Amino acid sequence: MVTRRDFIKAGLLTVAGMTIPISALEIFKPEALASLVESFSKKKRWAFVVDTTKCVGCGMCAKACKLENEIPFEAEVQRTWVERYIQTKDGEVIIDSPRGARYGFTSNDPYGKELKDEEVAKEFFVPKLCNQCEKPSCVQVCPAGATYKMEDGVVLVDRSWCIGCGYCVTNCPYFARFFNPVTNTADKCTFCYHRITKGKQTACIDACAFGVRKIGYLHDPNSEVFKIVSTQRVAVLKPEYGNEPHVFYIGLDHIVK
Amino acid sequence: MKMSHAWRPVIVILGAVIFLLILRTIYVPADFTAKNGDYKYQWHRTGNEKYWQDYPAKHMGQEFCGTCHADKVEKISASGHQKVECESCHALPEKAAKKHPVDLKEDFKYLLEIGVDSTRELCKRCHAKLPYRPAEYAGAKGTVKFKMIDPKTHNAGIECVTCHDVHSAGFK
Repeated sequence: MVTRRDFIKAGLLTVAGMTIPISALEIFKPEALASLVESFSKKKRWAFVVDTTKCVGCGMCAKACKLENEIPFEAEVQRTWVERYIQTKDGEVIIDSPRGARYGFTSNDPYGKELKDEEVAKEFFVPKLCNQCEKPSCVQVCPAGATYKMEDGVVLVDRSWCIGCGYCVTNCPYFARFFNPVTNTADKCTFCYHRITKGKQTACIDACAFGVRKIGYLHDPNSEVFKIVSTQRVAVLKPEYGNEPHVFYIGLDHIVK
Repeated sequence: MKMSHAWRPVIVILGAVIFLLILRTIYVPADFTAKNGDYKYQWHRTGNEKYWQDYPAKHMGQEFCGTCHADKVEKISASGHQKVECESCHALPEKAAKKHPVDLKEDFKYLLEIGVDSTRELCKRCHAKLPYRPAEYAGAKGTVKFKMIDPKTHNAGIECVTCHDVHSAGFK
């Protein structure tokens, strides 16, 4: 004979048991607990600064990146690209990035439509690349363990384990991921990990003649990136996604998506 | 006493589970770990870190080219083009465009295709007049006026290098 009390008790116990996912049991591992409370802020952390006010839209960064990282040059995929934002006087916002800007911007004709100077209210260029998030949504959704975050904050793709399912490509709020047509795996900007770990600058920084891009440790008081982020007005793209991106922009506008 | 027939599917299922667990230990590499116990973001094959660290660097810049072309690098360092890397104009995406007399790959382990891109399109990437191109920028010696032309009216159809010397950023 089951009393009502017994039934409710047993029911609540069952529900409570079901709400403990296996992952929560991880918390009882001391090292797992430490990784939850100790943020990367005490460790070295790569970060990037993009000063959009200096960008002239020559696209040399996009070209250098494609050559450096062996991304097929004429394929419509980019690890880094430059977007042009145009707001006309009647309020229309036009955003384009012809061929990912790997041939630069040479005329004022978004989508083949010639614009007169007097029609334009404001225009500027915004270079984009992977934001190497602190909480990368691409990594969270990978079912194969093929993409991961390094301890210094750079997110990388394991080409030998990627199964090409495309979850990460669709999950990146910054559209930074794509399929590499040669390796047939997910691909993205790596902050030129092979260069920065050897003390070099990234290919896009080397190629930029205008000092738009900078890379450095975010928590090294002597790094230029740290100085800019800690003393100037910077913004990140789409903070509402909660990814904590680590590419900081100077001179963003509300029309930038 | 004969075993109840109900145990048979149980044994099959247990067998399948054990088989899959054994297969998993064989198939998954030993270096698959969650660094710092972080299964959420750092669950990966640690051997892959080396792949990205050892990836070959290709852009070498003025320092590398200067080992043979010291005169050119010296000239460009004193000009308005001082911050323009050699590869911006000399690295070419097309394999067919290889024009470098010395085999850089063999002798210098340099991996990019080198030639000369002297098209108007290349110069226009920076010097075509766009109303929103910054007209001056901070150079090493203070503010530098940034020269821009209207490609439609400025000697249309002629290569820029006909009159301009790229390495001194002036006229020939």
